[in-house]
Amino acid sequence: MTDTNLGIAVHELHKQFKDGPKAVDGISLAVAPGEIYGFLGPNGAGKSTTVHILTTLLRPDGGYATVQGYDVVKQGAQVRASIGAALQEAALDPMLTGREHMRLQTALQGLPRSTRRPRGNELLERVGLIDAADRRVGSYSGGMKRRLDLALALVHEPRVLFLDEPTTGLDPQSRSDLWREVSRLAREDGVTVFLTTQYLEEADVLADHVGIISRGRIVAEGTPEALKAEIGRPTLEVVPVDPADRQRFADVLARFGPAASSAKPSAVAVLLEDGADALASVIRGIDADSLRMDSFQVHKPTLDDVFLAKTGESFAQGDQGASASSEDESLQPAEAPA
Amino acid sequence: MRRFLDVTGAVAWRTIHHFLTQPSILVPSLLFPLFFFTAFSGALSGVEAIPGFDFPSGYAAFQFAFVMLQASAFGGVFAGFSIAADFESGFTRRLMLASPDRRGILAGYAVAALFRAVVVWVMLIVVALLVGMQIDGGALDLVGLYTLAALVNVTGLLFSAGVATRLRTMQAGPAMQMPVFLLLFLAPVYMPLELLEGWIHTAARLNPMTPLLELSRDFISGQPADLWAYAVVLTMFAVLALWALTGLRRAERAGG
Repeated sequence: MTDTNLGIAVHELHKQFKDGPKAVDGISLAVAPGEIYGFLGPNGAGKSTTVHILTTLLRPDGGYATVQGYDVVKQGAQVRASIGAALQEAALDPMLTGREHMRLQTALQGLPRSTRRPRGNELLERVGLIDAADRRVGSYSGGMKRRLDLALALVHEPRVLFLDEPTTGLDPQSRSDLWREVSRLAREDGVTVFLTTQYLEEADVLADHVGIISRGRIVAEGTPEALKAEIGRPTLEVVPVDPADRQRFADVLARFGPAASSAKPSAVAVLLEDGADALASVIRGIDADSLRMDSFQVHKPTLDDVFLAKTGESFAQGDQGASASSEDESLQPAEAPA
Repeated sequence: MRRFLDVTGAVAWRTIHHFLTQPSILVPSLLFPLFFFTAFSGALSGVEAIPGFDFPSGYAAFQFAFVMLQASAFGGVFAGFSIAADFESGFTRRLMLASPDRRGILAGYAVAALFRAVVVWVMLIVVALLVGMQIDGGALDLVGLYTLAALVNVTGLLFSAGVATRLRTMQAGPAMQMPVFLLLFLAPVYMPLELLEGWIHTAARLNPMTPLLELSRDFISGQPADLWAYAVVLTMFAVLALWALTGLRRAERAGG
């Protein structure tokens, strides 16, 4: 597929902020039309910087990128006409109502006067805000603001939609509502969606393809299933009743595969070489040594395991380690997931 | 061009909407010029008796010209505050993402600044006529006066927009306000240039606002007007337009 046929094409993109590390360090990716691409990484990994470049808000230092076949540096106006974007901090005016935002956005996007009001109402209806349309946005909840932001991004029926951490800070219900709408846009309307997220589950559920970014570089790319299949084997995690028994547990488990990392400091984990078939043998081995377990859990491979395998650190560690690695993102405090 | 105007219209609509619906913006905008006019023309009317003060239309008209220019300049500067606030809140990103030609954003703020100035002008002239201010200039003089005021308004906006697009924070407020304040008050505000003495006379003589103020007083009193003051304001306009546009480019490079 050539760049002109792709929704998004990125080649060796670079961006470094003044006196800072490289926020984007040679990223290349391709997103087919109508596809949802999940750009997954911890805070400060370079996700937002990439989105800002692709939406023409920032200029790259090197490399090039096209959106709907338009060069993001040389054809900024055409790119902006093709895209909708809901960025990390919903850029809303607390003194305007939802309907007034629609009026503003439809005018900014140059919709014919006669279609502005009906289009605004249609989108407010679609995101469930029609009853709150005449309230000032300052009184909206976080979820309502996100939905309004999404509706605003859609007024001109863009072919490519950028969503920068769209569900950060949302409650589970609002999050699943937003997931449903994003899926519908891609499946029914054929909109190409570039979605950044720090939630593994979100990328797993929504994305056709996932790019995992760490410290400005893409460390893994593929479908969520393919990425997890690369890791292949499940992980067994055991928490001893007596923490002093950790080493004895580790010795027993070592017979079934290499040690694995665990998020719980009290746990001992192993990557099961023979898969789940080895579980009965593991239990027999623990029992034979008269060891007592507090908990025993088998994890199927997750995108976190992929991240761990590719970067050598867990997603949470990556978050801490990279939190100051990007000038723009380090300025944005991460909100705790609901 | 149509898309440029779409953006200009949308940005102007929002800024005017804020001006008209938020008393915290509207009321001071109307009260301050009125206060300056009534306070200066009332409390300082004795200046008329000073030998050498020969303004034919009276002290109220003498002050009216200054308050007109002051309100116009600050109307532009306050639009710069809106620009800075939008950068600080991130709203500018919405505008930048939707604008094929981002100069339309600046044009929108300029239209809103002009609207705001027109509202103040209308209120000022109504009050001035009610208190019996004498206008000796003809219709053409008044057109000249309001054109000059409009140019001062947009020039004020261009100056503050240049600051706002470079600093992109509300903390830029004093940097927008102070230079304009100094220029205005180092002009012959309370008495004619000829009656000023010492350093203040030198400062006023070199101040580019002085010819604009004197021209506006000539218009209102119907005296022969020295139109070269237009060259001064048009030069300021051109230089500050460049200042604002380069600031916009800088803000674009910084990501809005």
